This record gives sequence, structure tokens and C-alpha cells, in this order.
Amino acid sequence: MSDTQWPRFEVFVQERPGRPHLHAGSVHAPDPEMALLNARDVFVRRPECASLWVAPSATVRGGTAEELPQLLAAARTEPGTSSIEYLVFAKVEERGTLTHVGEVHAAGPETALAAAQAAAGATRPLLALWVIPAERVERTLPEEAPSMFDPSRHKPFRDQAFYHIQTALRRLRRDPSAIGHRQSVESKR
Amino acid sequence: MTDDERLAAFEARIARGEKIEPGDWMPPEYRRQLIRMISQHAHSEIVGMLPEGGWITMAPSLRRKLVLVAKVQDEGGHGQYLYHAAETLGITREEMIEALHSGKAKYSSIFNYPARSWADIGVIGWFVDGAAILNQTMLARSSYGPYARAMVRISAEESFHNKQGIEIVLALVQGRPAQRAMAQDAVNRWWWPTLMMFGPHDSESPNTPALVRWGIKTRSNDELRQEFVNQTVPQAEAMRLTLPDPDLRFDESTGNWRFGEIDWGEFWRVVGGDGPCNRERLQARRAAHEDGLWVRQAMAAYAARA
Repeated sequence: MSDTQWPRFEVFVQERPGRPHLHAGSVHAPDPEMALLNARDVFVRRPECASLWVAPSATVRGGTAEELPQLLAAARTEPGTSSIEYLVFAKVEERGTLTHVGEVHAAGPETALAAAQAAAGATRPLLALWVIPAERVERTLPEEAPSMFDPSRHKPFRDQAFYHIQTALRRLRRDPSAIGHRQSVESKR
Repeated sequence: MTDDERLAAFEARIARGEKIEPGDWMPPEYRRQLIRMISQHAHSEIVGMLPEGGWITMAPSLRRKLVLVAKVQDEGGHGQYLYHAAETLGITREEMIEALHSGKAKYSSIFNYPARSWADIGVIGWFVDGAAILNQTMLARSSYGPYARAMVRISAEESFHNKQGIEIVLALVQGRPAQRAMAQDAVNRWWWPTLMMFGPHDSESPNTPALVRWGIKTRSNDELRQEFVNQTVPQAEAMRLTLPDPDLRFDESTGNWRFGEIDWGEFWRVVGGDGPCNRERLQARRAAHEDGLWVRQAMAAYAARA
């Protein structure tokens, strides 16, 4: 068996219920189930996730504002193809990332892109646009959320606010006698 | 459009503060520099797990152990974010891992120094992560979208790495004389290699002008190094630790702490592969990859099930 890094999956994170899923990056995995687990370990070590989606990178159609005209020019109705649902992701702010903005139904990816452009790009220019067939998106189920995301809530030491460094340094500046007169601190904890 | 027109349009986008995204036209040199920087950065996170990873089982309390495990896990995750950002430029993960394991790729030379005592774990968080955060905060404004976004995420997560390190050093300087001496010894060994982390002087850094012109870097090596010294000296003073530089003095006219000359001979020796732990680090990486083969095979077999 060849030792590869496996196919890529794009990862989308929902930070809180009711908020849109945002593109976070990608992971490599042999199947969608393990892609979800890898995505949790790579992107959700802090308690700010309500739901995760992964989709094979190969199923993504779309590109940047620079690429879209050419992609949209290829839009045509594929005869005899039935319409399926696509999830639409758009980047609308320079500092932002691809964000889930809705769904379209179309008979092919280029047609889906055209419909998405018409819907999402109607009010503001799009910096990037992706469509992904809904059936290729693997999602965490609400009942899985506790086992997937709650463990990170019990690790407050991953948050910088857990440490009170400035207070300790100020105290030392005020009272240097604290240095060198105490018993072993580490071994007492 | 001709290439010159494309280049002009590209540079105008950067001048307007726009982010370049995967798929956009970019000069081949921009792509090459980004792949070099991001993959080196990814390798640094991955190799950076090694000096500290060795201390997990020797942490002096359960709390310290939990914190250190979480920090090393973060570094693994940060390597993954960065490999992803590099992949958006067309290089594959296999190519990057092969370049690391064959010794062709570079990573931050700081990780070729050994962590000899528990105090080193404190000083690595204080110095090395403190220096890395300054660099990464700058890169979070970089012109390449995926790199900038990875840096935003990484910088936010790493401030805990820095603080847990300072907390360890604080505990040691308030402990027994032997513990204080341990902290001072670690400071003595890590100070100069940390100053080298920022890279050569601006005048000696061949990549800097292109990186600044295209908004990949927005501040120079020397500027970042000075900011690190300025933020660290007062912390060391508060803890009554001495930084190993007889030339260190405050310059009233500039408000900067002036420091002595870095031993660039040592820097280039370690970058060139002849540091205290270069061979050990690469061997550990290769062994980890080979030892993990059965896990990858098991996962592939599970994925292939009927």
C-alpha cells in the first residue's frame, strides 16, 4: 500500500448555534468520518464550536473574483441531469473567509455557481464563491456535539486569561523580597 | 494582459490592502517565497513539539503536565493549519514532508537546541513563544489570505503558551536557591538563540525586500528583534534574572534597549545543520513517521471496508 497523506477535505466551523459555518482550512483523511474527527482535533481545541462540516476538496467548484467570469461562462444546462442541492459559500470581506450563505438547486456545478452568483452577488461584490453538492457534505449531528465539542470546555488552561502574569510581575516589582525566600513552589502544587 | 500588466494589477491590489486568495494570479516569485516561508513555518511547529514533548512525563505536577500536553498538541495543530495554507499554493503535503525528512527543508534553528531542565520549558514559553508571537502577529496582516488567517488563529492560541512559560519561571525564581539558579541557567542558554530566531540583520537578509514589497512581511527582522528585547528586559528585571549580555543598556534617546552583537557564526552553523540537536530532531521525525505507518494502514483499511 502506498503511504500517502490521503485526499483533502475542506473544513467549515460553526462557532455558535445560529451563526453561519465558516471555512477554516482543510485536513487529509481516508474517509469523511475520519475527516470530521481530524477536523475536530485540528480546528476545535478551544470551546468555540457548535457544528462542523467537511466536504472532499475535489467536490468544490468555484474560485476568486478573478476566476469567476471564466467559470460562469462555462455554465450550461446539462440535458437529462436532474437538479440537486448545492451549499453556497461566499467571501465578501477582505479580512473574512468563505462563509455559508445559503443553498441553490441546479442541474450542474456551473449552473449552481451562476445561480449562487445571482443570489449572493446581487447586493455586494463577491471576493470568492464556492458551491458544494449538499449530499457530499458530512456534518456533525446535534446529538454528537457533547462528545465532539464539550471536552474542550473542561480545559480552561488553554486560555491565556487563565494565567495572571501581569499581576504576579507587578507584585514582584513592588516586593522583591518574594524572590529567594520561599520553599520549593513547584513541588508543593 | 501581458505579465507586466498582471504584475502591476497584482501590486496595485496589495497596495489597496486586498488579500490574495488561492487561484488569483500571482508572480511566480511571490508563490515561491510563500511556499518557502509557510512550509518552513509548518516544519518549525512540527519539530517544535520535540524539545518540550520530552518533558511531558517529567512535569513536576499534574497541572503542569496538562498544560504542557495542551501546548504540544497546539503546536501539532498549528503545523497542520500551516501545511494547509502552503497546499493552497500548489505544493503537496507529501512533497513537504519528504523535504523535511530528507533534510532538504529548513525549520527554525531554535529547535536544534536541547531542553536540559524543567526551567527550559518555562524559558521556551517566555522567550521562544514570545518571539514567535511578535513574528506571527506581523504575519497575520500578510497579503496572502490563507496565511494571514492561519496566523490570526495561531497567535490567539499561542498567548497561553507564552504565559504558561512565564508562570513556570515565576514559580522557580520564588523558590529555593537551586530553583532560581536553574531558571538563570536556562535564561543564559536561551537568550542568544532566541535573538537569532528573528533571522539575519536586514542588511544581510536576501529575501526581505521582496517580502516587504508584496506585503508578505510588514516589519523587518531587526524591528521585531528590538521589540522583543524591549518587552523582555523589564520582565527579566522584575524576576531578578540577568540577561547574558554585558552590552545591554537602555538608550534614552530612542527608548530602546541596546544589545550586543549576535554570534552570526553560530547562527549559520546551526542553520547549516551543525547545531546541538539537528540530527536527533530529524531522526525523531523520521522515526515518528515510520512508527505511525501501521496507524495510517489501519485507517486506510477501515475506510476501504465494504
